[in-house]
Amino acid sequence: MRNITDDDLTLLFYGEHDDPALAATVAESAELSARFDALSAELRLADHFVPPHRGDDYGAEVWRRISPRVADERTASPGRVRTWLASFSQPRFSLAGALSFALVAVLAFTLGRNGGQEGITEPLNPVNGAAVALAGIDPNRLLAHSVSGHLEQVNLVLTQFVNTTETSPGEAEYATDMLVANRLYRQAAAAQGKHKLAAFLADLEPLLIELAYEAQSGSTATRERMQQEVRNGLLFRVRVMNKQLDKPQISV
Amino acid sequence: MSQIEQKIIRKAAAGDRLAFRELVLEHSHAMFRLAWRLTSDESAAEDIVQEAFIKAWRKIGNFRMESSFRSWLHRITVNTAMDYLRRQARRKQFETTEPEFESVQMGTVSPAVDTQIDIREQTEAVMMNLSETERSALLLKHFEGHSIKEIAQIMEMTTGACKQTIFRAVKKMRIALRPLVTA
Repeated sequence: MRNITDDDLTLLFYGEHDDPALAATVAESAELSARFDALSAELRLADHFVPPHRGDDYGAEVWRRISPRVADERTASPGRVRTWLASFSQPRFSLAGALSFALVAVLAFTLGRNGGQEGITEPLNPVNGAAVALAGIDPNRLLAHSVSGHLEQVNLVLTQFVNTTETSPGEAEYATDMLVANRLYRQAAAAQGKHKLAAFLADLEPLLIELAYEAQSGSTATRERMQQEVRNGLLFRVRVMNKQLDKPQISV
Repeated sequence: MSQIEQKIIRKAAAGDRLAFRELVLEHSHAMFRLAWRLTSDESAAEDIVQEAFIKAWRKIGNFRMESSFRSWLHRITVNTAMDYLRRQARRKQFETTEPEFESVQMGTVSPAVDTQIDIREQTEAVMMNLSETERSALLLKHFEGHSIKEIAQIMEMTTGACKQTIFRAVKKMRIALRPLVTA
């Protein structure tokens, strides 16, 4: 038998040794077992090298800090002049994505309500299958997370809306998508008993309807009135609500 | 890598900020742990995480799905941390007039008073006394569970060199920590 070095034992400890028989060899030898145990005990001390704890909202905090720079990077390309229409061509939002988020939220809620009911033996259809796959997901967090993403898009869209004077066909189409998503989220929030959130989303709807159906065909005066309405508080409320959603301890 | 993650990465690579936000939410904690273990400095680790994500955002269009996204992020984190540590070392060189002595030297960890050994602090001191390369390789193996092949890719070295780096780190660590085991 060849000489077994500490390097071999290190590889064995980390499950990286090429020789599958090495573990058995070590187990059969008292001397090798003692060496392996000593090495294991010393390496396990490294487990005390524990980083400081970061809360559940740490990821959101990182995002809050880097998002202005992330936005800058995207707009730092040559030819910064972007029209309202051009901004819609950015793949930052998709109805399919919003719909799937909302669907997941509704499913998770349904699952939560049905949880604990035993003896259900219905065959799985695709929707039930998806629901089963969601077992263990906290529906409240899922909804908050999904709506937070939605509100971030609303925030982007409204910010651009109040800062542009031009309109385009893409604007209406985009607003329609957001309106549909907004309704789904509102329904999911209401179903989960998140009445404050549902009411807030309901408040957003008239503006999204206007953006979808009137902004394009309406007069300059209509557009300016809508922009004023957004500036006067709606944009602020969107941002505040989004921040609250990132903090699970705040009830929405 | 799951299909959902692949989809999110593709969207982020196409410029979708919200998709990138998902990746930030998913990986921030792990990146902080790695950055802290590399620097042993809380605020530096936070800065490194943010800087690493900005770099990831710039480069995500170059990411190829063949490798693990986590490994790719770890590579950026390790490089960012290395840059930070080198800057710190240069700054120290200019700032220090007296020769510096580390509080804990390799192989000199003493059990101190039996019941009052602060294993955590001693372990941290031992880790920080490894070279940056040794510490990175060992952390990626011991805490992050990467294979030696992955670590070699992350650290841009050959598999053989990576193995030897880990062996060296383990030897140094064992010598330094042995008194704590026998205490």
